Amino acid sequence: MIRAENLWKKFGRFEALRGLSFDVPEGSAFALIGANGAGKTTTIKVLMNIVEPTRGSATLLNVDSRKISQRELARIGYVSENQDMPARLTVEEYVVFLRPFYPTWDRELEASIALQLRLPLERKIGDLSHGMRMKMALMCALPYRPKLLILDEPFSGLDPLVRDEFMEGLLEQAGEMTILISSHELGEIDGVATHVAFLDEGKLLFQESMSDLTGRFREVRVTLEAQAAPPKPAPKEWMQIRTIGNVLTFVDTRFDENGLGERVRSRIAGVRGIDSQPMALRSIFTTLARAARDGGA
Amino acid sequence: MVWHIFKKDWKLLWVFVITVASLHWISAFIIFKLGLFGESTMLEMLAEAVPILSFFASMFLIAAIVHVEAIPGVRQDWLVRPIRRGNLLLEKFLFVVLMVEGPIFAANLFQGLANGFSLRSTLLSATSYMIFLLFFLILPLFAFASVTQNMTEAFIFGCACAFIIGAFLTLGEYMNGSAHGTLIAVTHSGVGWIGEVFRFALVAIAAGTILGLQYFRRKTATARFLVIAFGLLLLTSQFLPWKSAFAIEERLSPKPAAGATTVIRFDPARGKFKSPSGLAPSSENDQRNRRGENALVFLPLQVTGVRNDAILLTDRVEVHVTGQDGRVVYHGIGDSLEVAREGRNPAEEPVYQQIAVPMSVYHRAKDQALQVRVDYSLTLFGLAESYSMPAVDGDERMPEWGWCQTKMNEAGTAVELHCIEPGKGPICGTAFLENASTGARNPARSTCQSDYSPYGYNPLPDSFVRFGTNLQFRDASGLAKFPVDGVQLPQSRVVIRVYEPEDHFTRSLVIPQIKLGDWEAQ
Repeated sequence: MIRAENLWKKFGRFEALRGLSFDVPEGSAFALIGANGAGKTTTIKVLMNIVEPTRGSATLLNVDSRKISQRELARIGYVSENQDMPARLTVEEYVVFLRPFYPTWDRELEASIALQLRLPLERKIGDLSHGMRMKMALMCALPYRPKLLILDEPFSGLDPLVRDEFMEGLLEQAGEMTILISSHELGEIDGVATHVAFLDEGKLLFQESMSDLTGRFREVRVTLEAQAAPPKPAPKEWMQIRTIGNVLTFVDTRFDENGLGERVRSRIAGVRGIDSQPMALRSIFTTLARAARDGGA
Repeated sequence: MVWHIFKKDWKLLWVFVITVASLHWISAFIIFKLGLFGESTMLEMLAEAVPILSFFASMFLIAAIVHVEAIPGVRQDWLVRPIRRGNLLLEKFLFVVLMVEGPIFAANLFQGLANGFSLRSTLLSATSYMIFLLFFLILPLFAFASVTQNMTEAFIFGCACAFIIGAFLTLGEYMNGSAHGTLIAVTHSGVGWIGEVFRFALVAIAAGTILGLQYFRRKTATARFLVIAFGLLLLTSQFLPWKSAFAIEERLSPKPAAGATTVIRFDPARGKFKSPSGLAPSSENDQRNRRGENALVFLPLQVTGVRNDAILLTDRVEVHVTGQDGRVVYHGIGDSLEVAREGRNPAEEPVYQQIAVPMSVYHRAKDQALQVRVDYSLTLFGLAESYSMPAVDGDERMPEWGWCQTKMNEAGTAVELHCIEPGKGPICGTAFLENASTGARNPARSTCQSDYSPYGYNPLPDSFVRFGTNLQFRDASGLAKFPVDGVQLPQSRVVIRVYEPEDHFTRSLVIPQIKLGDWEAQ
């Protein structure tokens, strides 16, 4: 559905994207995660042909991103936290304006989304709160049943209630559409994303399915007979190694239930017990972000 | 979809559009109420200010229309909507033309009809004015606004451009002054319209390129560079060579060869120039001459071959003074001349070619034997029409001259003749007071100007030209006597003679040997 190949984007001397390549499978909910400034929004702007890549290429719906026409745009929904819409029009006026541009616009669906999101149709866009504006952007992106929905930091600045309303509205209409969602917090896309790609300083650190990601990350707690000390050298796949008394904890990024004990014992002597716990997405994200910051990812 | 986007823009901008339109309509109403003589000081002041205000408001409106769907930037919603760029560009263009030019067009129609001009002439002049504004204001601003994201950016970028333009023009003026006026020839001359047409063509190309680049490819950096590049190219167009421009005008002569018999000769027998007032000529001339920077040399001329009821006007006088060894002593511009042969037996007036030679050059060369070549670019005007109207409280509509009124001035020394005409108006005419019973007439006042533009090109205030002259009949000091004086005014008429250009041609006057010192004014 989306393919990026060796994307580079420079703003003056600053390299926002550095050889980014990834694939978004059709029907997936693909999360592009990374800290602020990692290059998520730039990637999306490149994909939408809002900015041109300095090098490399990307395709959406099998069309080069630089050649996206009205035909493709009519099949793409786009919601961004910083989307400028005509402030002096009312919500309804803007929706009326947008309808004719989308041959597949479903007015019943539009009405039901508006109802579900509890949008004040008569209010001017400029008078809407940030949350309301995000819901309105979602309402303007769904009634034509896009094949591809691109959400750029959709939850940024939303309170939990609005976020839930937004998510409900989204999930209800998701159907078979492919979703590309960028966020700086993995926790936000918990339960939505099927695939994830992690960006850091314009580079892709990894891309994999959510089940693989959650499957390979474990918080491991090793109880030792004596005072714990980090193994030297520590395996690359162990992150956030900490010791407290005779307990050593680390995040195993290549978790294998059967081989864990053997791998630990081969590096650490005097192991009394090993315990591993699955990690929340938020914790995985934090671990990755810290590792990326410290140059260890 | 163009109409659909148009309706959306109207919803967003109708208050702005109505406000700007109202300014234009108020401006037109003020000018109309002012009348031909403009006797109300308050209205006169408003008639100066409101058109400028409405002009600036139109500029802001154009920018606002374009900025509704700004091109630069990455946050605009329209960028991710399936809107055809061609439709958007067309809609913006139509909106600008209809909402900015439309009210101006309506204001001009109102003025023309309210002033009693025919619908045809009013429509013609208003349409011509709209086309002029399209190239002069709409297209440049449309292209300019498309490379800016918002009004603040447009204002800052506009100020920077204004600074560059100002600096360039100042530099150009300085260079032109150093070259004694020979560098900037075409601008502000009779053939200035050729430069103007060239600039309009350049504006059309620039706007087409920049708008195409912006709306279809969103290359703002390149488009901004082009704005500056085309802007500089426009500015350099003021250095268009005179000979090429005048050659085009020659080809456009309505009656080629009408001036074939015209000869200009050096006529030393006429003697040195003597100021009619008895004052030193330098004190009658411009400030520069008064400061003693220039010495004024007057070459006596004999101009023959100008038939009766014709006026010969110089469009440009280029003076070359060279030494006997061929080195250039001075190259500059001479004063313009007007040789009028009015009536059946016109008296021959002495003609002197005035040359302002820089004092430093003059002192160095005044006693040397020099060669002087004067290249004249000339236009011969022939009488086209003659009208007359009462000298006082006259009110006449004259087809090739316009609507005129006469009244006596407050001092009771002259008859004021004020006229208005849709479009460009007449470029050459004479007016004088004539006693209808006795046939006595006062000296004619000429209003001839070197301007052969086929269209009017004054952006402000509207599509009408207003002109006039004062016809003196009494000298307050009592020194001069007029054949038609105040007592005869009730039996007198203002005679207006309209002249049309017939032939544009060049003549070269060569004086093989002359000493400048011999011809400095007494």
